[in-house]
Amino acid sequence: MEKMVGIVLVSHSAELARGLAAVAAQVAGPDVRIEAAGGDPAGGLGTSADRVEEAIRRAAAGAGVVVLVDLGSAVLTVRDILEDRADGSVRLADAPIVEGAVAAAVTAATGQPLEAVLQAAEEARDARKL
Amino acid sequence: MLASCEATVLMPDGVALHARPAGLFVRTAGSFRSEITVSSGGRSANAKSILSVMALGARGGTALELRAEGEDAERALTALTACVSGLLE
Repeated sequence: MEKMVGIVLVSHSAELARGLAAVAAQVAGPDVRIEAAGGDPAGGLGTSADRVEEAIRRAAAGAGVVVLVDLGSAVLTVRDILEDRADGSVRLADAPIVEGAVAAAVTAATGQPLEAVLQAAEEARDARKL
Repeated sequence: MLASCEATVLMPDGVALHARPAGLFVRTAGSFRSEITVSSGGRSANAKSILSVMALGARGGTALELRAEGEDAERALTALTACVSGLLE
């Protein structure tokens, strides 16, 4: 089987990140690596650069990683991490996290490359529910 | 050679193209190279886009019109027709 793009979900809430990972996995199937990085290390609301780095390592399968974030400091934390990675294998999606995660995960499940998975996530900006 | 195919398939009763079934449908579509559109109730969606397929809001008993263009169009529609007919919930 070809390598799939991995997905990382960064939220202020560990529950939100885990729950969204479960939703995305149900839609995309069991083959995509979807990793949650939510909350601060003390168990509260916040973001942790260490947790994000670990989640990126777990999600990476050789085809790159797309990261989705909820708000504010989650965006800043991931941007700081990605500034130190110049190889372009980890990309931050400018997308709403729920729709973007589902779109990215399903696209990754079909074996599409990093750019296509990123694009699917970002198309979620314009997706209507009705 | 570019082929173009069309097919109509009925959504099984009690099944809607909500998240999980739509995921199966889109993953099936995504395994083919052809461009595939799915239409229902006068609206069309890219069959490889989970968000646009879900936004169709197709429910059990409604007809889905499938159209594929590309080298594997016929195989794609055969697979998608079987996928929709086999949706369980």
